[in-house]
Amino acid sequence: MKRQWYGRDTELSIRMILVVFLLTAVYLLFIGVLWDAGVPTVWIIFLAGAMLAAQYFFSDKLVLMATRAREVSPADAPELHARIERLAAMVDLPKPKVAIMEHDMPNAFATGRSPSHSVVAVTTGLMRTLSDEEIDAVLAHELSHIRNRDVMVMTIASFFSTVAYFLVRSLMYVRFDGGDRRKGGNPIIVVWLVALLVWIVSFLLLRALSRYRELAADRGSAIITGAPSQLASALTKISGVMGRIPKKDLREVQGANAFFILPAVTGESIMELFSTHPSLKTRLDRLERLSQEIERL
Amino acid sequence: MSWLDALLGRSRPVKSKLERLFALTTAGITLEVKAELKPAGRAGICFRPVTSSDFDATRREVEDLLAISAKDTTTKVEQTRDKFGYLWIVLEDEDLEDLVATAHMISLTLEEHGFGERLLAAVFKFVSKKGPAYWIYNYKRGAFYPFVPRTGDERDNAEELRIQAIMAKEMPLEPDLSKWYALWGIPV
Repeated sequence: MKRQWYGRDTELSIRMILVVFLLTAVYLLFIGVLWDAGVPTVWIIFLAGAMLAAQYFFSDKLVLMATRAREVSPADAPELHARIERLAAMVDLPKPKVAIMEHDMPNAFATGRSPSHSVVAVTTGLMRTLSDEEIDAVLAHELSHIRNRDVMVMTIASFFSTVAYFLVRSLMYVRFDGGDRRKGGNPIIVVWLVALLVWIVSFLLLRALSRYRELAADRGSAIITGAPSQLASALTKISGVMGRIPKKDLREVQGANAFFILPAVTGESIMELFSTHPSLKTRLDRLERLSQEIERL
Repeated sequence: MSWLDALLGRSRPVKSKLERLFALTTAGITLEVKAELKPAGRAGICFRPVTSSDFDATRREVEDLLAISAKDTTTKVEQTRDKFGYLWIVLEDEDLEDLVATAHMISLTLEEHGFGERLLAAVFKFVSKKGPAYWIYNYKRGAFYPFVPRTGDERDNAEELRIQAIMAKEMPLEPDLSKWYALWGIPV
């Protein structure tokens, strides 16, 4: 009988389903309240949809611009291209575009709405600091994000969160005493409060989803490279170096945090609950468990 | 990977397709007569190892099998690791049929132990009047494509397309040109 050398993380799948379920519940409740209050829900959804669609279709270009990553040709970076090519061939993924950021901090990100429109970017610091095998592990982590369609999943998941945020912002300027603004049972202040609540709750849920997807990509990396320990040592190196980088440098890259392999924020003050990435300890523990899983099989 | 797998972030390796390897044996004559490519008696199987004792055991079994089959045939075997961390089993045999059969045997042994997904490519060397030409078998796609390296990092695309056109009806070829990945520094 054939045995699989890799296992499955059912717990992670259950967590993800739970978060998606809770998000949906919160969103449905939100739509209900909007509907009940007579807010022109269709229009709001249409507007937010247009905004998100723009973000979705231009995500690769927007992120490249925000991070000042420069696309490189196979002639510019032959080895990096060859590495990505082989890893992509291993999982039969179209080869993503390759970009480089001139930055001493070792980091990497992947973006793009679909596998055929994806970009993988790495910093010059990453290529200097990490060993070849560790670079492969990081690249495989990014390829897993592409395989799991994380840009699309997160865009869709954050749809009504964006709508709620929109409402919170715009209703702040509406005078709450205007009687003609209420058509249904709820006064506008209730709508505002509900939108605020929906935004806060969905924000936390989305962060949780983002962390789970990071863990899933870590797992994906190990399955592509066959070496969870390489990713573990890469993560340790990256976080170690990042801790020593002055604050000024860190602020520069803040906008792209959600896409990076490790967020460029350090310090105990940032609670894991609010962060897009799991803590280093969580990730190392998981990878360690995965190593044991592979060894046991 | 299915949509549900993507949504749940359940990564799965991609299964390898082994059977179409044999298409090279049947296409051998056409290759020699029409495409003017002579087998150069060398082939290589490229795969990515897993850091586990189970995988090491599988590798040893492959080595044992190769040692046994080497007694019957004249196939010579060596192993190398390239700079990208992939393992190569390089085979040397005058007979193309034996090369393909041995390559298939190695792939099958890996697959029987659950490591079939670790296979990346099998490479078969040929020679034409202009120099060496390779047929690369992509296990994930189950298809062949030509790779004709020239000096430096140049590829002779015209030659590659020429042999592709001749062989299109003879063997399963990769239709997507963007998947005709180069393999520089092939130890074959």
